[in-house]
Amino acid sequence: MRRSRPGVSRNERSMLTEEESRRYSRQVALPEIGIEGQLRLTAGRVMVVGLGGLGSIAAYYLAAAGVGYLKLIDRDRVALENLNRQILHTTFDLDRPKTESAAEKLGRLNPHCRIEAVHTTIEEGNAAALLADCAVIFDATDNREARQVLNRASLRRHAPFVFGGISGWEGMASTFIPGRSACFSCLFPPQAEAIESAPPPALGPTACIVASIQCLETLRLLIGAPPQLAGRLLRFSGLTMEFRTLQIDRNPGCPVCGVPQRHSSP
Amino acid sequence: MNAAIRITVNGMPEEVPPSATLAELIVRFQEMDRDLIVEHNGRFVFPQDYASIQVAPNDRVEFIHPNFGG
Repeated sequence: MRRSRPGVSRNERSMLTEEESRRYSRQVALPEIGIEGQLRLTAGRVMVVGLGGLGSIAAYYLAAAGVGYLKLIDRDRVALENLNRQILHTTFDLDRPKTESAAEKLGRLNPHCRIEAVHTTIEEGNAAALLADCAVIFDATDNREARQVLNRASLRRHAPFVFGGISGWEGMASTFIPGRSACFSCLFPPQAEAIESAPPPALGPTACIVASIQCLETLRLLIGAPPQLAGRLLRFSGLTMEFRTLQIDRNPGCPVCGVPQRHSSP
Repeated sequence: MNAAIRITVNGMPEEVPPSATLAELIVRFQEMDRDLIVEHNGRFVFPQDYASIQVAPNDRVEFIHPNFGG
């Protein structure tokens, strides 16, 4: 009996098919993955929220890596100004729902990956229910309010929340493990009012770097390796070509995860 | 007399009043972003501590603006 782990469904298999063995051979060769890890990916269930710049990379790499089930959530249709970076969608997909465009591409990429595409807006009323059959939240949204919603769902369902965001040449990523590390609201306390702001500039390679880092974290979580960005904020700048990390402790004053522990200031 | 102290703000040398708090520096450097992240000598500072933490000579302060695009 394998013990129950996050991101792993009950009907876990014990073997890869011959076709799967070849398909995933280059990553199965990694000692951290191996056949065991690949089977865990096959049983992995991830909710990817947003199919824009970050979500394009997330969906492709998670499907390609053999994650067994992806629930893809997006409310938008493909627009011309998306195509400088959202490489899941093409000129032929203009005006199609992004979920539909995504499901088609991913089905061709890896028919082993079960895709559930949900054309909706993630909000307080549906987030926890949407998350119910998934064990990891991959954040590829484009605003702070959606992330507050994901954070609360993450805490409610005890599902890790892999955060990423970009703005022009810069991006950041972190992993929030409910009960163990800082949550999104420890870092960005909820605000009474949402402020509408113009979308920031966005560059494909920046989204690719940040989403790729999130993918690595997600794969780590699924294979049972410790996440490397829990309690840390990773920042990338494409202007200076630097990565920096900042340790983020749980905020004892966090109104969302409300940590019952002492605050030790320097 | 209270002489100004030298600290580093966003990688640049700056002179600020002695015992300035992080809250005062946020105003002084016009970094009033409601989602601002403040790093003080390599440590993340909780917003509720901005008004009580004072800087000392040679301190390093970084004002980090969040990236929320996707």
